[in-house]
Amino acid sequence: MNQRTEDYEVIVKTTGLRLGYGQRVVLAEVNVEIRAGEFWFFLGPNGEGKTTLLRAVLGMIRPQAGQLWVHPGLGHRERIGFVPQRCDINPTLPTTVREFVLLGLVGIHTDRNDETLRLEWALDKVGLSGLGGKDYWSLSGGQRQRALVARALVRRPSVLILDEPTNGLDLAAEDAVLRFLAGLHRQDRQTVLFVTHNLAIAARYATHIALFHAGEVEAGPRREVLQRHTLERIYGVAVEISYDPAGGAAVTVGPPEGSS
Amino acid sequence: MIQEFVASWPLFHNTYLVGWLIGLLLALVGVLVVARDQIFIGAAVSQASTLGIALALGLGSWTAAEALEWLHADAFLSTMAVVFSVLAALLTGRGGEADKESHEAVTGWVFLVSASGAILIVSHSPHGLDEIHRLLSSSIIGATQRDIWTFSALVIVTAVGLAASHRRVLLFALDPAMAAAVGMRLKPWALVTSAWLGLAVGLSIRSAGMLYTFGCLVLPALVAKNLCREVRPMFVVAPVVAVCAGAVGFVLANHYDDPPAQMTVALLCLLLTIAWLIRHLRRSRDVR
Repeated sequence: MNQRTEDYEVIVKTTGLRLGYGQRVVLAEVNVEIRAGEFWFFLGPNGEGKTTLLRAVLGMIRPQAGQLWVHPGLGHRERIGFVPQRCDINPTLPTTVREFVLLGLVGIHTDRNDETLRLEWALDKVGLSGLGGKDYWSLSGGQRQRALVARALVRRPSVLILDEPTNGLDLAAEDAVLRFLAGLHRQDRQTVLFVTHNLAIAARYATHIALFHAGEVEAGPRREVLQRHTLERIYGVAVEISYDPAGGAAVTVGPPEGSS
Repeated sequence: MIQEFVASWPLFHNTYLVGWLIGLLLALVGVLVVARDQIFIGAAVSQASTLGIALALGLGSWTAAEALEWLHADAFLSTMAVVFSVLAALLTGRGGEADKESHEAVTGWVFLVSASGAILIVSHSPHGLDEIHRLLSSSIIGATQRDIWTFSALVIVTAVGLAASHRRVLLFALDPAMAAAVGMRLKPWALVTSAWLGLAVGLSIRSAGMLYTFGCLVLPALVAKNLCREVRPMFVVAPVVAVCAGAVGFVLANHYDDPPAQMTVALLCLLLTIAWLIRHLRRSRDVR
């Protein structure tokens, strides 16, 4: 159960995976190989199956066909941290940041000392140190999103899965969350799977991208997947992709300036 | 006042003990009801068990055969109360998904069917109608030694269950989406919690009536919600509030010769008003 995944070791592999709900097929033929230490962005328009694939990795839905292999080191999801799209906690309930974050320990055996250490570590990681006793509802939107990430991190996950975590955040809060995740990936070699429909942030932060379109997934390293013709086919608009010397990329939607 | 209460103990101790045990049990279950924002479900489940009792009374009055004497037994009434409240809890726990009716609509339907049905079934039976009115108003808390053992066992099982799996219970109540993501199976959890709610409410209704049952289910948890800074201590504060209000309520009711259930519920309502005030003052202070 405590078997850790090594860098670049395959942690999730799908072969001819078909996923859906009831009779409906959402994803028809998914072939993806995710290795430890990679920063994946699941990208595509709404309703194309990004969250469905995540749900399958989390074991919440079963494959209709094909194979989905998850590294045994991830155990029964003990080593997966999940940040949902939104948190539907009853807003009239009293809760502190501490209580909220510790809910992430469900299914993990810890003693009181370990609990405290994990809590302090997770809060420190997301920049909420010293706010454990604070009323969760008094936090700003960006801080609450960080608390959600802390709730996932408190599991000390090998894989951190985030389902559109920057939805509804203002630009500053979105930037803070993304910088923090990039830092976590860079410094701790944290494997991250990030669902979004925002092409620009994927271009900037991803090491790997999975593009979802019409029930199919095109997946691989960012430079291979982020091709002009692929994006134009999927999104139906003209795009320009530029790479900077530091390795970052930028995607501009619409025809280049000066063109008519 | 206290001496009068102590003097009444030999005569009414079963009633007092069962009243407090019901308060304790329902306060524990009620924290989950309040945490899941399902107060109206609590009302519907309570009402549904009166429909079960009405149906049992109706069956008893319609059949005079000696072979069906068991229809008049107290155990049959209790069983019907429990069966109907468990069914109502399971039914109101469903819905809310795409292409299905909302929770509120299903709960409203259960409440109204139970409220109208209970009266209609016993409307031509003077004894039955009287019994239903008594249950609705909680005018008497009737109890036997067996009730004490039954509710003691339920309190212990509930408390041990909550203590053993408090974090799972909290996550299930607070954030089911996250609970599913960390591997909790929501359907069995929903089934068990609904069935337990139905069992607790169904048995309590039979002994204490609807007003006291519904009052103890939601009011102590609401008081705790307004006094606590976290959900976890609510599982301690709510039962303490329920038992304290029950103790004071029964002493006052004994002294002023008022019905104990109404007195306790009125006290709990007063406590909730004070708790709202405390929360408001605390919020104002925090903002400053």
